[in-house]
Amino acid sequence: MEDQIEEMELKPVNVRRTFTLRSNVARQVAVNFMPSRQLPYGTLRLRRTTSENNVLLESSGDETDKQAEIIVREMEQHQRLMEDNPVSEELRREALRDLPQGLTMKRNVRAKLSASVSLRSKHRPINMFKRLKYRISFAWKKARDRISDLIFSIELWYEAIRHVEGHFGSAVGSYFHFLRWLFALDLVLAVLVISFVVVPQALHDQHRNRTGSMGFLDFVSGKGGFEDSLLFYGHYHDGDIVTTGPLTYNMPFAYFFTMLCLYFLFFALLCYRTAYSYRRNFIEIAGGLSNVFASKVFCGWDFGITSQQAAALNASSIYNEFKELLSEQNKNQVTKSFWTKFWQCLVNIVVTAFVLGLIISLEYGLWQLLSSETDLSRWEIYVSSIVTFVLAVCPILFHLIVRLEFYKPRTGFYVTLARTGLLDIGTLTLLLVYWARSGSECWETSMGQEAYRLVILDALLSLFLIPLVEFARSFIFKMNPSDSPPEFNIAYNSLTLIYNQAVLWYGMLFSPLLTVVVTFKFFLLFYVKRECALRACQPARKVWRAAQTQTVLYMLVTLSLFTTLFTIGSLFVRGSSQHCGPFRGYEAVYSVVSEGVLQLARRRTLAQVLAFLTRPGVIAFLLLSLCVAVYYMRAKARAQRSMVGILRRMLVLQSKDKDFLLAAIDKVSNGEWLYSPKPEDQGADSHTWKYLQEVRKPSNAGYHFDPTRLNHSMIERPRSYAKDIRPNSYHMERRKSSEDGETDSSFSWQGSGNCLNKENDAEVGKWL
Amino acid sequence: MGQGKSQFSEEELQDYEDLTYFTKKEVLYAHQKFKALAPEKVGHNKNAKLPMAKILQYPELRVNPFRDRICKVFSSSNDGDCTFEDFLDMMSVFSDTAPKAVKAEHAFRIFDFDGDDMIGVSDLREVINRLCGPEHKLTDSEIQQLVQNVLEEADLDDDGALSFAEFEHIIDKSSDFCHSFRIRL
Repeated sequence: MEDQIEEMELKPVNVRRTFTLRSNVARQVAVNFMPSRQLPYGTLRLRRTTSENNVLLESSGDETDKQAEIIVREMEQHQRLMEDNPVSEELRREALRDLPQGLTMKRNVRAKLSASVSLRSKHRPINMFKRLKYRISFAWKKARDRISDLIFSIELWYEAIRHVEGHFGSAVGSYFHFLRWLFALDLVLAVLVISFVVVPQALHDQHRNRTGSMGFLDFVSGKGGFEDSLLFYGHYHDGDIVTTGPLTYNMPFAYFFTMLCLYFLFFALLCYRTAYSYRRNFIEIAGGLSNVFASKVFCGWDFGITSQQAAALNASSIYNEFKELLSEQNKNQVTKSFWTKFWQCLVNIVVTAFVLGLIISLEYGLWQLLSSETDLSRWEIYVSSIVTFVLAVCPILFHLIVRLEFYKPRTGFYVTLARTGLLDIGTLTLLLVYWARSGSECWETSMGQEAYRLVILDALLSLFLIPLVEFARSFIFKMNPSDSPPEFNIAYNSLTLIYNQAVLWYGMLFSPLLTVVVTFKFFLLFYVKRECALRACQPARKVWRAAQTQTVLYMLVTLSLFTTLFTIGSLFVRGSSQHCGPFRGYEAVYSVVSEGVLQLARRRTLAQVLAFLTRPGVIAFLLLSLCVAVYYMRAKARAQRSMVGILRRMLVLQSKDKDFLLAAIDKVSNGEWLYSPKPEDQGADSHTWKYLQEVRKPSNAGYHFDPTRLNHSMIERPRSYAKDIRPNSYHMERRKSSEDGETDSSFSWQGSGNCLNKENDAEVGKWL
Repeated sequence: MGQGKSQFSEEELQDYEDLTYFTKKEVLYAHQKFKALAPEKVGHNKNAKLPMAKILQYPELRVNPFRDRICKVFSSSNDGDCTFEDFLDMMSVFSDTAPKAVKAEHAFRIFDFDGDDMIGVSDLREVINRLCGPEHKLTDSEIQQLVQNVLEEADLDDDGALSFAEFEHIIDKSSDFCHSFRIRL
C-alpha cells in the first residue's frame, strides 16, 4: 500500500499537466484568502497576501505609501506585536526584518508602526521584576550585537577566503573555512595550555641552565637539548611551584585538570558541531520527495562566484550534469542480472578485504620497524619519515583502489575517507600502545617526541613538497595544455588537516607545546594553500557538493578525538611512568583526584561511597538503564517517523482535494455548474462517485441532471458526452478538447473529479 | 571606514542594524562596497540611486546568470535601479545569517520571471536556459524533459506550476541551497 501511495506522490499525472493549462493567478488569489494563509506572525505570508491586495489596488498613485499602510494594518491585527514593551518591540523588529520587502519600505513601515504603537499604549507602570527582566534582555542583546560586530572586524582571512571562493566556488571555499575553523580551535587550545601549564612551568624553570645540543636534527627529532624542555611531558614539575606571594601553584593538579577540561570541552564542542551539521545536512533533508532535478535547477548556481572563467565552468558543469541526468533517465533501466549483482558484490568484498589486509600489514610492519634494534643513529627520524610517507601516499592509493569497485561516486568517496581515517587513527593508536609498552624510562616523553616528529615531518611534506609538486604540474600543464589541468584536490587536502588534528589530539597530553606547533603550521598552511590554489590550480570541472562532505569531515575529527580519549584513558590514566612528569608522586594518574583532591585515605565514608559507585553491579545497572532509554527514544523516533509518513500522505490528498474544490468553485463562478452522472465504467470505485451517490443524492440536494446545462464546448462537438455515452469516451473527449489549447470551459464538474487520473483514482479508492 | 561613518547618523545605522542581518560595521562595509561602484555619485548622496548597469559591476553579480532578475527583485522602484538601501537589503538576504525561509522567498521571486507568483513551465525553461550559459544550448525536447522531471518531483498539487509552498518544500530538503545562495559581503 505504501508503495502505491509513494507512486502516486512521485508520478503525478503527466497527461493532465500537459493538457490542462489554467489561469493560476486567479486561483492563487483565492488560495491566499484561505485561513491557512493567514497565520499569526506569518510575516512571510503577510507579504504575499498584502501584495495580492496590492495588485488589486495598484492603480492608485502613491503606491509605496499605500503598500506600507496595508502592511501596517496587517500587523496591527496581531495584538502581541503591538504592545508597548520591549518584548513585542523585539518581535516587531524581527517580523519586519524577515519581511521580504525593500529596506526603504521596511523603514517606512517601522516609522508608521511606532507611531501607531505609541498612540495605542496606555503607559501602565511595569513592575520591578519585569523592568529588571527587560533591562537584562536588552543588555544581553546589546552585548551580543557588540560581540558580533567585533567578530566581523577581527574575522581572519575574510577577504582571502572570499577571493578564493570567487575563483573556485564555495566547495574550495569550504576547505578554507574548515582550515580556519581548525586554526581557531587550536589557537584557543594553545592559549589555554600555555597560560595554565607552560607559563607556570617556565616561571619555575627560570633559574635552571639548559644542557644538550640543539642542532637542526635535534629540532626535527625532538631529542638532545629539546628532550628535557617545556616541549615534553617529562620535563614538568611534580610539586608545588612557589611564587613570591603566599600562594603556591600545584603543577600536577594544573596539568591534570587543564588537560582533562580541554579534552572534554573540545569533545563536547566537536560533538555538538558534528551533530548540528549532521542534523542540518542529513536528517532535515531526509525523507519525502526525491529532488535530484529540482535541486539541480534551483541550487545549481553558486552565487559566490566572481570570475568569468569560474562562471563559464560552472555553467558548463551544470550543462553536463543535466545531460548526464537525462541520459541516465533515458537509458532503458537494464535490470542487473543476479550474477552481475553477485559479481559486483564479490568484487567490493574482495577489494575491501584486500584494503583491510593492507592496513593491518602496514600496522604490523610498523610495529616490527619500531621494535627492531639497530645501531643506526637517528633511527627514530627514519621511522617517523616512513610513517609520514606511508600516510601521505596511502590516501592516493585508496583513491585509485576505489575505482575498481562498484560504488556510486559519493559512496566511493566516503569509503576512501573511512579507509584513510582508519589507517590514520590505527597508526596513531599503535604508536601510543607501542610507546606505553616499550618500558623506556619515560615513555610519555617518547610518545610526545613521536607526535612532534610526525607534525614536523608532515609540515615539510605539506608546506614544501606537495606545493612543489602542484606547481610542477601546473607548469607542465602550461607547457602542454592538452593534459588535464591540475585541480584543487579538496578531499586529499582535507584529509591532511584531519590527520594533523588527530596527531594533535594524541600528542597534546604528552607534549603541551604541540598545540602551538600545529596552530602555527595551520597558519602557514593557509597561505601556502591559498597561493597553490590561486596560482597553480584550475577550478574543478565537476560540481562538488560541499554540505554533506563537510559533515563527514567533522565526524572524522570527532572520531579521532574519541579514540584518543579512549586509548589515553585505558593506557595512561592507569599507569604512568614513575620517573618523570608531573604525576611521578602518584601511583596512578587518577589518584590526583582520589588522593590529591578528595583525600580518600582520610575520608573513609566518601571512599566507601565511591567504591560502591564504581562496583560492576552499579555500572551494569547504569548501562542497562542507558540501553532502556535508548530503546525508548528509538521507539519514539520510529513512531514519529510513521506519523510523518501519514501526515505527508494526508497533505497530498488534501492538496488534491483543494485543487478539486477550487476547480469546482471556478466553474460555479463561471456559471457552468453542471452535474452529470459518471460513465458506468469508472463510477463504482471512485470515491468522488461514491460521494456523489451517497451524500449528494439528487433528491436531497435538489439537483437534477439537465443535459441542456452541459458545457457548451461539449455541446458544440459532434461526439459530445451528452449524446454519446460510451466507455472511455469521456477521457478521449477531455484530451481532444484540451489539445486545442487553453479551453477553460472544457473543464467540467466531472473533469475536476478526473484530477485523480484513472489509475490513481482506483488506488486512492482502495486506500480510502 | 572613517569617511563612511560620517555619512550616516547613529539612528540610521541602528535602523539598518535592526532591519537587516548585519551589524553596524558590516553596514558600513557594505556602504564602502556600494560607494566603490560609483564613487562620486555616492560620495555626494549616500543613498543615491544607481542604474542597474552600475550595480551589475559588483563582481558576484557581473557573472551571475540571474543578475537582472536579482536587481529587479531588490529594486524598490522595480526597474532594476538600486539605492543603497536596496543594495543593503540584497546583501543582507544573501548573507550567511539570513534564514533559509527569507532566502527561499527571494529566490522564488528571482526565478519567477513572469511575476505571476508561480514558477511555471516558462519560468523553469528560462532558469534552465540561463543556468547552462550562452555557450551550451540544450535542445527543446531536453529542456521539456527536464521541466517535466522538476515538476514531477516538486509539484505536489499537480497544477503544472510550483507555488511558493512547493518551492519552499524543495529548498527545505536541499542541503546545498544555503551554501550556493550566498554572496559574501
